[in-house]
Amino acid sequence: MQLLKKIKQGSPGWFLLTAGIILLLLIPNLNIIINLFGKAGENWEHVRDYLLINYFQNSLILVLASGLLAAFLGAGLAWIIAAYDFPGRNFLSWGLILPLAIPPYIGAYVYQGMFSYTGPLQTFLRNDFQLQLSQQYFDFMNIRGAIFIYTIFLFPYVFLMTKAFLSRQSASLLESSRLLGKNDSTIFFKIILPLSRGAVVAGSSLVMMEVLNDYGVVKYFGISTFTTAIFKTWFGMGDLATAVRLAVMAMLVIFVLLFLEKLLRGGRKYSYSTSNIRPLSRRKLKGSKKVLAQFFCYGVFFFGFLLPTIQLLYWSFLSRGGELLGTLNFALTSFLTGGGAAVLILTGAVIVATTARMSSSFISNLLARITILGYSIPGAVIAVGVLLFMLQLDQIFLFLQTGFGIEINLVLSSTLVMLIFAYAVRFMGIAFNSVNSGYQKIGESYFEASRTLGKGVTETFFKIDLPMLKPALMSGFLLIFIEIMKELPLTMILRPFNFDTLATKAFEYASDEMIYRAADLSLVLIFFSTAAIYLITHHRRRKNNAVEN
Amino acid sequence: MQLKIDNLTFAYNKKEGNIVENFNLEVQKGEVVALVGVSGSGKSTVLRLTAGLEIPDSGKISIAGQTAAGDHKFKAAEKRKVGMVFQDYALFPHLSVEKNIAFGIDHLSKANRKARVRRLLELVNLEGFEKRYPHQLSGGQQQRIALARTLAPGPELLLLDEPFSNLDAELKDKIRRDLNEIIKDVGVTTILVSHDREDAEFMQAREVLMS
Ligand SMILES: Nc1ncnc2c1ncn2[C@@H]1O[C@H](COP(=O)(O)OP(=O)(O)O)[C@@H](O)[C@H]1O
Ligand SMILES: [Mg+2]
Repeated sequence: MQLLKKIKQGSPGWFLLTAGIILLLLIPNLNIIINLFGKAGENWEHVRDYLLINYFQNSLILVLASGLLAAFLGAGLAWIIAAYDFPGRNFLSWGLILPLAIPPYIGAYVYQGMFSYTGPLQTFLRNDFQLQLSQQYFDFMNIRGAIFIYTIFLFPYVFLMTKAFLSRQSASLLESSRLLGKNDSTIFFKIILPLSRGAVVAGSSLVMMEVLNDYGVVKYFGISTFTTAIFKTWFGMGDLATAVRLAVMAMLVIFVLLFLEKLLRGGRKYSYSTSNIRPLSRRKLKGSKKVLAQFFCYGVFFFGFLLPTIQLLYWSFLSRGGELLGTLNFALTSFLTGGGAAVLILTGAVIVATTARMSSSFISNLLARITILGYSIPGAVIAVGVLLFMLQLDQIFLFLQTGFGIEINLVLSSTLVMLIFAYAVRFMGIAFNSVNSGYQKIGESYFEASRTLGKGVTETFFKIDLPMLKPALMSGFLLIFIEIMKELPLTMILRPFNFDTLATKAFEYASDEMIYRAADLSLVLIFFSTAAIYLITHHRRRKNNAVEN
Repeated sequence: MQLKIDNLTFAYNKKEGNIVENFNLEVQKGEVVALVGVSGSGKSTVLRLTAGLEIPDSGKISIAGQTAAGDHKFKAAEKRKVGMVFQDYALFPHLSVEKNIAFGIDHLSKANRKARVRRLLELVNLEGFEKRYPHQLSGGQQQRIALARTLAPGPELLLLDEPFSNLDAELKDKIRRDLNEIIKDVGVTTILVSHDREDAEFMQAREVLMS
């Protein structure tokens, strides 16, 4: 009876499926840790003695600086959007999410191209003002440049989380502080920031994970981090064992970060039951304050989205459309891969989340933790783990083939299966969270009503849960779809021969200084991401309005 | 005996202690029983245990002479034939009124099902509402549809959780009257939960105090 109580009201099928999925998600990561005890690669000593410190330093500086700056930028903007009203606010409340539509590696080459000696800015200054400035003012290809790129394109994670948090806060909170005579900046620093600390830290840790995951920006700028080092030892030197050791080191950094996050978030959660509070009312801004708020918000929007997009459009215009057929081809690959993988991942996530909901809170927390693990581990590390796993499978197949004469012509380690599996390991957490928050919105009583009306768990799932989950599934699909469209490190490492997505091809062109060609592909990518963000935010908005009416 | 609960004990989690402790209850067939007690005294929890939505720590529940929980057995909610009207009614928002009511009787033939849905709508005085959706109904109407849906499969036991909360006085009177009539009409064994003893008196129910 006690065991039954722990797994509560499930059916064994769901638990078995979930156990299988969880095992698959864990194996690549466990693989890495197990391999740590194997023989060190030939380059390991050299890497350890001369390079490791550098990787640590660079990775940490990038991660911490970007995380911190993004935290302030995102939280500040969220506060302005949540607490004030001014012309343009409605647009900005989703427009400020749009920098997420531009993958940092695209932003990096755009900014580099814009500010380079032959780029538009310097040419303009030279020709029209006879200004020859020292090149160091325009050099983006360094750590400072990378931090700028990460901050301006990733801060929306903090913005989104903080905004969502603030929108759930009670109006009386602000009103009482205002009545106590506090001015707005005091309120921001003394009340809003501490109160929304959890949300800000959560958003900022997403930024940090993304930074650690990034391959494109650092590679393009020539900065050595764990990710580039894993690429180099593996591809450049063919030394998988050393790559594994580096992956473990990167995981250590991650665990320190996760621990810090937990510490900073603090144990206490400040939350209200959502139904009975009066939401924050926005104060109308006038005069210079209005102009200042607009200037700031539009400025960030300009640098994070508008300027790079215009530059790309200009380049694309110069290339006269380039190779339209090639672009369409890569777009199709990205589309099919992203769409197909997203459906698969979402299916897995629905199974896990449904099981989690039928389980005790202990088990469902555990499931949530495990699924999100992959999102916090850099893509290059996951790639190493997945490749190890697939090589093992290949060996098993080979063994079966030679030992028993069974005909299985499967070489997993060079197929799309491997890549999609890796996507699943990395993005299952996002999918799980979407489905799970969908379930939380629905609540338990429909499920229970169906049960008391004589329907089992599985029938209830198909007749009640699934139809009601539709909006959550839709936004989950879009989220994963754009993540996969933008994904670079996993795809670069694990793709089959001659397999190119918009992301990999754009990055390749940009690395080869074929900026015009990269521009076409980047624009297609940004277009899809923007459309997805629009759909997600505006769908939510419509629904919120419907509830309020 | 339609329902027999012996020494029922239950905790949502061990740290917070038992919510229900050594609880006993016997309900005869056709009887109407009101569980009365202050908020937080575990009334809803007893209903959930009876319906099979929670698993007891110890004790025994039998429904219509069959063991539902206890003696190392646990009958799943969907096998108990216990109907429950939820506090928030839980009408499936993506299904029409007709499909909501027919949800638990899809083993019947189409014609029988249609006939039964019509009969139930008559019973709750909402003829002609087949094609509406839950969000097009008032609170009182939603409650009656929820009742119709629960009664459709002919449950051994009807559980009503706070059927009269969130209602203004005038509506409450009418709903109490209607509900009373319907229950007596169907003759179904009923346990209702209320924090107001007046409700129990009005429904001519046997009061069981929870503390
Ligand atoms: N799902 C749950 N998890 C943990 N505690 C719960 C849960 N549901 C109810 N409780 C607690 O159990 C106690 C009894 O609740 P309930 O049975 O709803 O009382 P009543 O219906 O008499 O108001 C309350 O203290 C409540 O906080
Ligand atoms: Mg209750």
